[in-house]
Amino acid sequence: MIRTALIVAVKDLRLFLRDPVALAMSFALPLVLGTVFGAAMTSVMGGDGENVNRVEVDFEDLDGSPESKKLFEELRASAALDVEAKTGTRGRVERGVSPAAILVPAGFGEDVRAGRKPRIVLYRDPAKEIEQQILAGTLVPVLMRAAGPAVAKEMMKRGMESMGFPAGMREMAESMFDSSAKPDESSASKNPFDFRDGGAEALGLHVEDVAGGVNPSRKAAGGAHAIAGIAVMMLLFGLAACGGTILDEDQSGTLQRVRLTPNAGGAVLLGKALFTISVGLVQLVLLFVYGGFVFDVPVFREPVALVVHSIAVAGAAAGFGLLLAVLCRTRKQLEGLSTLLILTMSAMGGSWFPLAIVPEWFQTIGHFTLNAWAMDGYQGMFWYGKDLNGIAVPILVLFGIAAVTGAFAWWGWKRRFERLA
Amino acid sequence: MQSPSNSSSPAIEVAGLVKSFGPARAVDGLSLVVQRGESLGFLGPNGAGKTTTIRILSTLAAPTAGRVSVLGLDPARDASDLRGRIGVVPQEIALYDGLTGAENLTFFGRMHGLRGLDLRGRVGRALDQAGLADRAQDRVGTYSGGMKRRLNIVAALLHDPELVFLDEPTVGIDPQSRNHVFELVDRLRARGTTLVYTTHQLGEVERLCDRIVILDRGRTIAEGSLEELRQGIAASGSAVERIHAGKRTAEALELLRAAGIDARVEEERPDLEQVFLTLTGHALRDEGAG
Repeated sequence: MIRTALIVAVKDLRLFLRDPVALAMSFALPLVLGTVFGAAMTSVMGGDGENVNRVEVDFEDLDGSPESKKLFEELRASAALDVEAKTGTRGRVERGVSPAAILVPAGFGEDVRAGRKPRIVLYRDPAKEIEQQILAGTLVPVLMRAAGPAVAKEMMKRGMESMGFPAGMREMAESMFDSSAKPDESSASKNPFDFRDGGAEALGLHVEDVAGGVNPSRKAAGGAHAIAGIAVMMLLFGLAACGGTILDEDQSGTLQRVRLTPNAGGAVLLGKALFTISVGLVQLVLLFVYGGFVFDVPVFREPVALVVHSIAVAGAAAGFGLLLAVLCRTRKQLEGLSTLLILTMSAMGGSWFPLAIVPEWFQTIGHFTLNAWAMDGYQGMFWYGKDLNGIAVPILVLFGIAAVTGAFAWWGWKRRFERLA
Repeated sequence: MQSPSNSSSPAIEVAGLVKSFGPARAVDGLSLVVQRGESLGFLGPNGAGKTTTIRILSTLAAPTAGRVSVLGLDPARDASDLRGRIGVVPQEIALYDGLTGAENLTFFGRMHGLRGLDLRGRVGRALDQAGLADRAQDRVGTYSGGMKRRLNIVAALLHDPELVFLDEPTVGIDPQSRNHVFELVDRLRARGTTLVYTTHQLGEVERLCDRIVILDRGRTIAEGSLEELRQGIAASGSAVERIHAGKRTAEALELLRAAGIDARVEEERPDLEQVFLTLTGHALRDEGAG
């Protein structure tokens, strides 16, 4: 029995070692994906700290007092934030230009000087979760320093009262506050405070999630990203499979039979492209409708932009699928290569996790994939409500990708299937 | 779409055809003439150059050297025009399993430019000819091997081609389906369609073809009717040694009869298989270019 099992195992091993697709899937794919995720996650999780992006934060000072200027300087001094003075900050966050903005209303300095709880507005983009965590962890101690310990203590006391903490607990908290009169920014950063527990109001901070249209929640942000990401990745898989019908037909002989008709030629490839794009569009519509109903993703905020962008995405994905099909000799080769490329492109292009969380160099490399441009367009529409003009760049890039991959697919088709060998 | 042709030029004229794949010559100086309305059996062992020649004649490959004319056209230059006038029955079942028989025929008919009632009529007749009218709406994937073979043939005939290449059209089917295929081919012959029939079933060539060309190593090694091939072998003295037609046969016969033995002389005629093996040898051939 063991001997027979060994004979079978050796035979399978021999077949496996002679199958380049199986080898690539077993060894190359894990290495490639491991590299992509490793590069992304070591940067996100900190690593040596040098590669972590500073969070861009807009600062709009409507007060102009020494106190507001001090707050600005304090924030600018933070290692984790890249703070710049801007105007129209709410709109910038809403459009996805900046992940967050701090608005200091008129009267801030007066409130601080009078020992009153000052009011500050924080505009946030809930889709940029990691940026919000970093910002919150940095903002709390800075606000406390800017407003002064007494005020901070008072703010904390009021906040705890408003939240109904028992007197004993409030006293304990005040005593703890006194023992650490000057909160440490670095320790705050390690324990991010994301304003979810109502503590923001206690600090005088009015938090407003402004991106995401009618449903600016973190859940909806996740849904918008997941639906767009999965749609693009599955579109690539689906359309590579559609392109693979060329290889099926070549193998079965039907392609040759079709070629033997008078007007076949390039019309066959064009027909394949139309079929592939149509399947892609139906696939996208199906997933978006599902995402809209099940996850409340605002997919139809910009219907015209959605249609044009989806045509561009389907065109680029179809060109990609057809190009792979004419380059591969067999269906098996196509399946192996497409899986390797699509999973890598999806990981690098933001289909699996938002590119916003990875360093700039990773984002730049990611934009060599069509996934990244497709995601930019969909996120622009779904989350930031961008219209056709707002996502013109991704659309143009995708049409460009469609044209280039389509041209190469055409060339490959002519060379392989139309040239008289 | 067969058009009555007044042309008396041959359907196929090939002179000095060469097709090389790197250093290997699949076809090596082949010359061939097929008259209109003729049914030609195209024979040869594996790798003899049959498939390569048919690919060149049917516009799928370009020759390395030589002159080729099919229905008066150059297959490499006039491929599109020629494709509308020839039919190719491939060796493999080149049909879409996911489509019904009628859908397959309709698709290939449309690709040949047929439309509307004309197309519908042709599809119906083709299904009748293939004996598949009652299975027209079933997916081809559910058909038996013989049914697929028959459909494979009629799919190449929808546009009424003047010249049909049949590449081993009866591989792997039962005697009933084979007989049905023979009837289809007979009908084509009766209509005056020129046929080039490739097969390893030599009996089929004996039954269906007017003339036979035997290829080996890319060259024609014998050509003519079956009778001419037999005579050629007998004359060469290389073939059937069991035929003893010498001067002394008559004397021996008389002696036997005198001894009361009922003796007679019977001539043993070589069949096509014997002719084929005599000409191409008994050595095994590996699969090659064609």
